Amino acid sequence: MSVMKTSMRNFFAHKGRMALSAIGVMLSVAFVCGTLVFTDTMGTTFDKLFAATASDVTVSAKDASDTGETQADNGKPPVMPASVLDKVGGAEGVKSAEGTVFSTSVTVVDADKDSLSPTSGAPTIVGNWNANDARTMKIASGNAPRGPDQIMVDADTADKHGLKLGDEIGVITAVGTHKAEVSGTAEFQVTNPGAAIFYLDTATAQKTLVGETGVYTNVNITAAAGFTDAQVKKNIAAELGGAYKVQTAKEVADANAKDVGEFMGVMKYAMLGFAGIAFLVGIFLIINTFSMLVAQRTREIGLMRAIGSSRGQVNRSVLVEALLLGVFGSVLGVGAGVGLAIGLMKLMGATGMNLSTDDLTVAWTTPGVGLLLGVVVTVLAAYVPARRAGKVSPMAALRDSGAPLDVKAGVVRAAIGLLLTGAGGYCLYLASAADKASEGSMWLGGGVVLSLIGFVVIGPLLAGAVVRVLGALVLRIFGPVGRMAERNALRNPRRTGATGAALMIGLALVACLSVVGSSMVASATQQLDKTVGTDFIIQNDRGEPLTPQAVEAAKSARGIERITEYKWTRADFTTPDGETLEKTAITAADPGYATDLATETVAGKLTDAYKPDSMSVHEEFAKDHGIELGSKIAVAFQGGTTAQLTVRAITSSEVVIDQGAMYTAIDTMAKYVPADKMPLDQLLFASAKEGQEAAAYKSLKDALHDYPQYKVRDQTDYKEALKGQIDQLLNMIYGLLALAIIVAVLGVVNTLALSVVERTREIGLMRAIGLSRRQLRRMIRLESVVIALFGALLGLGLGMGWGATAQQLLALEGLNVLDIPWPTITGVFLGSAFVGLFAALVPAFRAGRMNVLNAIATE
Amino acid sequence: MTSAVTITRHGGTGGTTAVAARARQVVKAYGSGETRVVALDEVDVDIARGQFTAIMGPSGSGKSTLMHCLAGLDTVTSGQIYLDDTEITGLKDKKLTRLRRDRIGFIFQAFNLLPTLNAIENITLPMDIAGRKPDKQWLGRVVDTVGLSDRLGHRPTQLSGGQQQRVAVARALAARPEIIFGDEPTGNLDSRAGAEVLGFLRRSVDELGQTIVMVTHDPVAASYADRVLYLADGRIVDEMYKPTADTVLDRMKDFDARGRTS
Repeated sequence: MSVMKTSMRNFFAHKGRMALSAIGVMLSVAFVCGTLVFTDTMGTTFDKLFAATASDVTVSAKDASDTGETQADNGKPPVMPASVLDKVGGAEGVKSAEGTVFSTSVTVVDADKDSLSPTSGAPTIVGNWNANDARTMKIASGNAPRGPDQIMVDADTADKHGLKLGDEIGVITAVGTHKAEVSGTAEFQVTNPGAAIFYLDTATAQKTLVGETGVYTNVNITAAAGFTDAQVKKNIAAELGGAYKVQTAKEVADANAKDVGEFMGVMKYAMLGFAGIAFLVGIFLIINTFSMLVAQRTREIGLMRAIGSSRGQVNRSVLVEALLLGVFGSVLGVGAGVGLAIGLMKLMGATGMNLSTDDLTVAWTTPGVGLLLGVVVTVLAAYVPARRAGKVSPMAALRDSGAPLDVKAGVVRAAIGLLLTGAGGYCLYLASAADKASEGSMWLGGGVVLSLIGFVVIGPLLAGAVVRVLGALVLRIFGPVGRMAERNALRNPRRTGATGAALMIGLALVACLSVVGSSMVASATQQLDKTVGTDFIIQNDRGEPLTPQAVEAAKSARGIERITEYKWTRADFTTPDGETLEKTAITAADPGYATDLATETVAGKLTDAYKPDSMSVHEEFAKDHGIELGSKIAVAFQGGTTAQLTVRAITSSEVVIDQGAMYTAIDTMAKYVPADKMPLDQLLFASAKEGQEAAAYKSLKDALHDYPQYKVRDQTDYKEALKGQIDQLLNMIYGLLALAIIVAVLGVVNTLALSVVERTREIGLMRAIGLSRRQLRRMIRLESVVIALFGALLGLGLGMGWGATAQQLLALEGLNVLDIPWPTITGVFLGSAFVGLFAALVPAFRAGRMNVLNAIATE
Repeated sequence: MTSAVTITRHGGTGGTTAVAARARQVVKAYGSGETRVVALDEVDVDIARGQFTAIMGPSGSGKSTLMHCLAGLDTVTSGQIYLDDTEITGLKDKKLTRLRRDRIGFIFQAFNLLPTLNAIENITLPMDIAGRKPDKQWLGRVVDTVGLSDRLGHRPTQLSGGQQQRVAVARALAARPEIIFGDEPTGNLDSRAGAEVLGFLRRSVDELGQTIVMVTHDPVAASYADRVLYLADGRIVDEMYKPTADTVLDRMKDFDARGRTS
């Protein structure tokens, strides 16, 4: 019989035993393919959107971004005079030119002052209803806006918020608040992923968004027949000189796509990273499956060898089985991946991001990548057991049981494992002792990888010790059943080790991140308590600046002692060492900020940085550029002129809040930046008069009621919000890690199921001499719990080590407090006991149902 | 021959009746209609308390099936089986399991021991499972009887085949079951080791008053019994008291000859 034929027969004879491995492969491949399909579909959606919305040629202000998005620090879009429109209209090849005005620095509210902005992170856009929009949108009800009292809403937003014709809507901009009634709704002709769009007529849009008429943010040009976009662009550029930015439709679409692509790229690679972890865990599952199948088939393989099969043939026959498993699992995985992508799209739909299945994009590479990855990983994972199968001696056919444990290999393994773990530990030590973050993170990365591999290698040895301890603590309560469970878990330490290690990987990451996350919260809280001298913070959670009206409103609140404005801009720095640092961030605040946030200084007094023509720099910056107190830095403010500022304070770099900020006074900045270019306030800090905190808090909230986009928080709220933010991020990561944990749980189920098959005769014997079904099931459950707890213990230990090291390293960046989230850690530990119980459900049930006589009779 | 073979009381451990187990009109059939195979055909048998009974017969005669049914490992198609006064036919798995645990001992041909437990743990396993404390004195006597005192800490893989079977015998004896069933307990042993094990079984009947039922096809093994039952085609066709290896062998040759001529 040929190798292929035996493999096929074996594969199908044991298809039940392969099922869980196939699911493992399938899940990992599905996650990869799902990610690819989802991001490709998003790409298609945006491409279509950008292609549809861009006009042939677009003219925009010089300092507008490439994507035509016109958000600026001062809250108003950069504009051009109406004369540009005339000039453009005269250029050769221009069929028509239309001025548009739109802005994304807006907040739109309904009559109850509830924000109508999307919660998905998509922009809110207010603009004039123009021919270009009329091309891509269809008026679904009512009419286009006419006059200052009318506003048209996109149909999705109207649906979502139940807006009807005639409803009142408020548009809040840096200019002021404009009220209008819904005059109509317009539907997108392509999929709109989720932006909320509002239309005013041209004059109203100009007044509301910019504060003056006769200006445009863009000019949309339609090319005349016979002219390419590029030709028209050239002609227009010649007409306008270099004062404006001219882009063809393709250039705008490309810039947009690049913008979105960057975000999607991050998401894609993050998700692929998690898929990679799942694959890693899946490798353990596959190794275990094939090891167990080979062990169970030892006599059979011995017979094959005895009648003349070569090592290579035996080896190959196992690999061919792995190949079949890989192909089978991957094909299912590709299919499941598309399903997963569709599910993800629906899920995104629930959060306000519309993606249409019409745009579902399955690139030909997607199934290719999925199949290749699944097959290669499966075959590689099966290589070790396959080699072991090849080493089975023909004598095995005659012996009763499987090959005895190789003692020498155990010693070698222990040596290698300890060496790796030791090296990993040393790397982690170096990381925690490092002076430089960059150098330390290298050690940290190396330490994490080495200690992980080390733990995997010595896993089987640790299994012995850990299971015995767990047995003494947990299993003894269950008497002889517990003892047998313990012995069973110890019977094949390599198997228990590999099964536990699979669970270890996911849980180690969970533990590490939870330690870092809670240390972040604890450090920030400690610093808030120590350095923050103000009572309230007012900010927009999406990082948008505060409009002057909102600032005025806040200032009108009662019981307030001091309001500190906080602005943020970029400037080109020229340092004494002659270096020019372009677009460096600089913070301008009222002098009160030195009290509001008492950042520690290493030299000078922070309050001095707010003296005229003064500033502060942070420690690292000072070190890098040889700056001392009294050094002068040339600061060329964006949109303004160059100032010579004297460094009067150097702040510590070991802070969490405002890390790396360099301060100057708003008054100083105002000397060099014209009023209309001054950025809006990014944050406001308010301090209540002594004893009037509660009243001031309420008054502030009332004052800002009309501006739902801004949140007023006292220190308690702020800490909670901070914790909430970190928790949300952690939960998202835990959610993605769940995949790896599910694969690991499959591994536990797999190990137990195969063990039950392997121990059929034993189970029959025990049942014959009086072990009840319930006791039998309990025995299997306890074994499962012990394996799971073993994995959890290793994972949590390793993860906490990583987390603590990361905290030590991040202490350089102000993460001073190490906080181990014991509730989370204990929760995960206890949770893994439940995971063990859950994993044992089916194997225990099947063992209980075994017929005693058949079980005894099994060879 | 389907008539009951009744035995008068012979020794015993002081049970309520002289009969440790009874089968009445027991039928065990597999399949139905054309493919119906009858393994036991209206078998009536009484197993005397305190005796060593051997069940013999050619392959497929139903001897193992009879033992499995008597031991509560297998269900019957019709008829009743009693262990002492308890009818075990029709009992649910839970009660049967408990019955096997508390009142029956087993010795199988091979694979009698759990590889993860050492000898003494294997011996006390049925009592451990039941949550009972073993009777120390009795346990010591059993261990001495089978001659394992210096091997108690050994795992099964560290014991010879004969030693393993002796551990199995000790396990069966340790819980003081009403009856011990052996399924070719010496089938995998060489003649010397087999003789040792059979000797222990014999002694446990003589000295400890144990009731033992053993399935075998080895005339020498059967010669250790007080009584031999012969099965053929699912029926008890003959019996013999105080057998010797030669008389058993002769009787079997007899059957073979009859089988060939009939």
